[in-house]
Amino acid sequence: MKFSYNWIRSLVDGLDAPAESLERLITMKTAECEGIELAGELLAGAVPAKVESVEAIPGGKHVVKAIVDAGKYGRKTVVCGAPNCRAGITTVYVPLGNKSIAGVLSEGMLASASELGISRDHEGIIELTGSDELPPTDHVIEIDNKSITHRPDLWGHHGMAREVAAITGKALRDPVNLSVLPAQGSPIKVEIEDLALCPRYSALVFENVTVQPSPLWMQHRLTSVGLNPISNIVDLTNYIMAELAQPMHAFDRSKLTGDTIYARPARDGETIVALNDETYTLAPSNVVIADGAGPIAIAGIIGGRDSAISDTTTSIVLESANFNAGNVRKSSVALKLRTDASMRFEKSQDPLNTVRALARALELLPLISPGIRLVGGLADRSAELTSPAPLDLNLDWLARKLGRVLDAAEVRRILESLQFGVTESGPRSFSVSIPSWRATKDVAMPDDLVEEVGRMIGYDSIVPTPPLVPCAPSFDPPEREFLRSVRRLVTARGYNEVSNYSFISEESARRFGLSVEDHVRVLNPIAAGQELMRTSLLPGIHGNIVENAKHFDEFRLFEIGHEIHKTAAKPEERPHIMAALYAKAAANSQDALLELKRLAESLAPGLHVRPAQPHSWEHPARCAELWWQGRAVGRLSELHPTLVDAGRAAVLDLDLALLQELKPERGKYKPVRRFPVSAFDLSVIADARELAANLEIHIRQYAGELMEAVEYVREFQGAPLPEGRKSVTFRIVAGAPDRTLSSPETTALYDHIVAGLTELGYAFRA
Amino acid sequence: MQDLVDSALARIGTAQTGEELEAVRVEVLGRKGVLAQLSKDMGKLTADERVARGKFINASKLALESAYDDKKSGFDRVALAARLDSEWLDLTVPASGVAPGSLHPITQIQWEIEDLFRSMGFTVLDGPEVETEFHNFDALNIPGDHPARDMQDTFWLDGGHLLRTHTSPVQVRGMEKLGPPLRMIAPGRVFRNESVDASHEHTFYQLEGMMIDKDVSVGNLTYFMKTLLTAIFKKEVTVRLRPGYFPFVEPGFELDIRCLICGGDGCPVCKQSGWVELLPCGLVNPHVLRRSGIDPNEWNGFAFGLGLTRLVMMRYAIDDIRWLQSGDLRFLRQF
Repeated sequence: MKFSYNWIRSLVDGLDAPAESLERLITMKTAECEGIELAGELLAGAVPAKVESVEAIPGGKHVVKAIVDAGKYGRKTVVCGAPNCRAGITTVYVPLGNKSIAGVLSEGMLASASELGISRDHEGIIELTGSDELPPTDHVIEIDNKSITHRPDLWGHHGMAREVAAITGKALRDPVNLSVLPAQGSPIKVEIEDLALCPRYSALVFENVTVQPSPLWMQHRLTSVGLNPISNIVDLTNYIMAELAQPMHAFDRSKLTGDTIYARPARDGETIVALNDETYTLAPSNVVIADGAGPIAIAGIIGGRDSAISDTTTSIVLESANFNAGNVRKSSVALKLRTDASMRFEKSQDPLNTVRALARALELLPLISPGIRLVGGLADRSAELTSPAPLDLNLDWLARKLGRVLDAAEVRRILESLQFGVTESGPRSFSVSIPSWRATKDVAMPDDLVEEVGRMIGYDSIVPTPPLVPCAPSFDPPEREFLRSVRRLVTARGYNEVSNYSFISEESARRFGLSVEDHVRVLNPIAAGQELMRTSLLPGIHGNIVENAKHFDEFRLFEIGHEIHKTAAKPEERPHIMAALYAKAAANSQDALLELKRLAESLAPGLHVRPAQPHSWEHPARCAELWWQGRAVGRLSELHPTLVDAGRAAVLDLDLALLQELKPERGKYKPVRRFPVSAFDLSVIADARELAANLEIHIRQYAGELMEAVEYVREFQGAPLPEGRKSVTFRIVAGAPDRTLSSPETTALYDHIVAGLTELGYAFRA
Repeated sequence: MQDLVDSALARIGTAQTGEELEAVRVEVLGRKGVLAQLSKDMGKLTADERVARGKFINASKLALESAYDDKKSGFDRVALAARLDSEWLDLTVPASGVAPGSLHPITQIQWEIEDLFRSMGFTVLDGPEVETEFHNFDALNIPGDHPARDMQDTFWLDGGHLLRTHTSPVQVRGMEKLGPPLRMIAPGRVFRNESVDASHEHTFYQLEGMMIDKDVSVGNLTYFMKTLLTAIFKKEVTVRLRPGYFPFVEPGFELDIRCLICGGDGCPVCKQSGWVELLPCGLVNPHVLRRSGIDPNEWNGFAFGLGLTRLVMMRYAIDDIRWLQSGDLRFLRQF
């Protein structure tokens, strides 16, 4: 929202703070200013100038030499390229830009309305009529819209002027004089079908209207605050909207059917061609303004084209209404149409303001459309207008909230300067009535007054004070510490943490064998390729591998993030870790896979590896499921060679929620053995693809109670073993808690194991 | 006999190598050596002679062993010195083993701030990234037709859920879970449906904080923010509050800090204003308390939101936000 400094100054008596300091005051006390800029900078030195003569310049393309009478600057020669530069007109001379054009010295310039910041007209130089005065240069203060979404009153200059008056201690001037409205009936009737959707509809009818450009001062103000001057009647509605925050609309009365204006929900499928020449098909959730024939405006959003003001308009119906904020907002979103009007109505405008705006119009219209006549009086239908109950404001409570001592007189002064009504209701207690423009939504409870007082006394007057709170340890969910310990461990092992998006593409899901239907879908993705919520960290990690392989020969990385899974109810989020190890020169991935296995074991001591059905993205002979305490907790795989350009990549995926759940409590310690153990090696010959874990299970099966440990030592293939066979050496450690084992006991154990495995068909290597 | 001993001592003294020395030891002191032989022969002697012989043997043995040990340790010293010298190593060659990895810079700053808050009695909570409309908006006093919903472009999911647009819903979950009084923070990933460029991301990190107790004031809030920010930036920070509108707080503030680059004189970082907008905060709106089952007549509190991503970018002078989600180790290995 842009605010004209001159406009504000016209509403605050004796305002002497310059625009720059006003900007800072508004930022600190009311709303965030985003910047300040000059509007109509060239107006500073500009003067009206009569073009006395124009002559062509030999060889000059599209430019002429004009001699102008530039008032206080005297007679000047100006080279001008405007098509409308001709003798006899009065235009504007600006003493800038002395330079030689087409061999002629131009002593300044003749300006267009656009260059002067008066309107957007840049077709030619501005042409003044006898009564036109040049408006002064202005400052425009831009306020961040987000900081005033709760303040319907700040969408007009009068509301901001009220703030400025309160901040600076000056008097606010009200541009409205309600007594100008005559107390007589209107030639039109108003019918409101649903007063909740349209709490008030007020209108005036005028005749003998002349449609022509507005005076320059009005055009300049509208242009300065970002509104586009069109014609006097339309400009008036925008001018009052920018001043009083009340959107208005003017209909050409000759184009209306009947003398009744209806405000009603749209019929299903009803259409309207709007001022922007778009056709909108409406639904009953939209509210329309209609005449006897059909919709003439979408309520609170935009007028209809067919009843719009045109050059031939001679009589008008001037609408000033109030619409339900939520409904306007929903319609505006549904129709994808945001307008200056809808932006204001969706902030919950004050229903009392409709008549104020009409009174203001009644005073302004004769200035811009000479000879205009009001027909009858006010047409006005409204819901019962109630004022909210006053708020009880206890000053001690207020002081505790702010953390500052407060003077009752100061609180009263602040609230009254913002036009709250203040009466003393008890010791250190006020009864505060809320002005109508703050009562629609913004101020409804005493806490809202804390802000009013706080910002005006200045938050910088509150001394930072330590809070008085119980000394209590914090409660931390155990999964947080678990995730931290995982991150610490994995980084200590050499892995770099990455962070990938939660979105993946359908293509990516398919590429990694994930069913697209199993994914939660983003209804409004930011871009193609980000339409699904990830059910695996793999697509992201794979991308990291491919990208980093362009720069590094070897790396380790990991991500901890949420997998998001579809369920019948709210999607389930499961924290997973995926770690990856890439080596460009690796002839084999065994080391990488076993390193990742060790990483998994560090997080899940004693986990088991089980052969797995390969997924399409996995090396079919190098993948496994990881099981811990009877549950599948993850997966260990080499990526399929087709997914990696060069080198090999191994990945580990673990369900961290499951690990956290299964993580055993640390039990009692086991006494350290007091008697020495015996150990012997055993080399079992088996099929080359027999799992070492299986052999170990067999050994354990026959080892009995005396066995302390079975340790894998090494394996061997090649001569003298036949093709397809391997020898796996285990070290068996045996012992007893109460004695040293005798040699015959150890021998008997060895023999028992050998006999058992022989029975299972295994041979041994000496 | 004495000659034998003298000559052995002389040979020990002149031995040039360990082998020579060992030969003398075996010959004289060994099990079958000269001294052993002399002891063996004692059976043939008279009692007096045996006493004299015994004394002689013991004395000779001590003298020889001492001479041997001296010589031997001399050789050992030389040999050790030679070995040590031969084992010269160039330790300027690169280290072996796997170099340590790194935590993502967001994780690092998040841990730092979590620890800071825990030291002040705050509980650290997590909330879901997929949220309900109720928790993300309605419970925070942002009903469906509220214009404030425009401030946060939302990713909507099928099934009527959404990706949380801020960490504020964890306030609601925290109040539901912990009840008053409470001190909590909630760091995490949030999502906004906006186009990505050097300074905008649709995925970034925030940290929400909240304290609910009796008589929590604006003065307490400024004290807390000042303490927190001084710890984060590791230098005295000056803060100021100005009005800001967020439906879940009343009053609401934008908190600015005096520019750490120019100290308030004005520079490009603070756009010549001397102040940098850092975080939104405020006193918790009574409606929000009530919706979470807390009686606003008995309890009140403050809440704030800190942009972790922004803080990381400020601390490390990162000029492009996209690095953070890039997974590029050229960037990540620097942390």
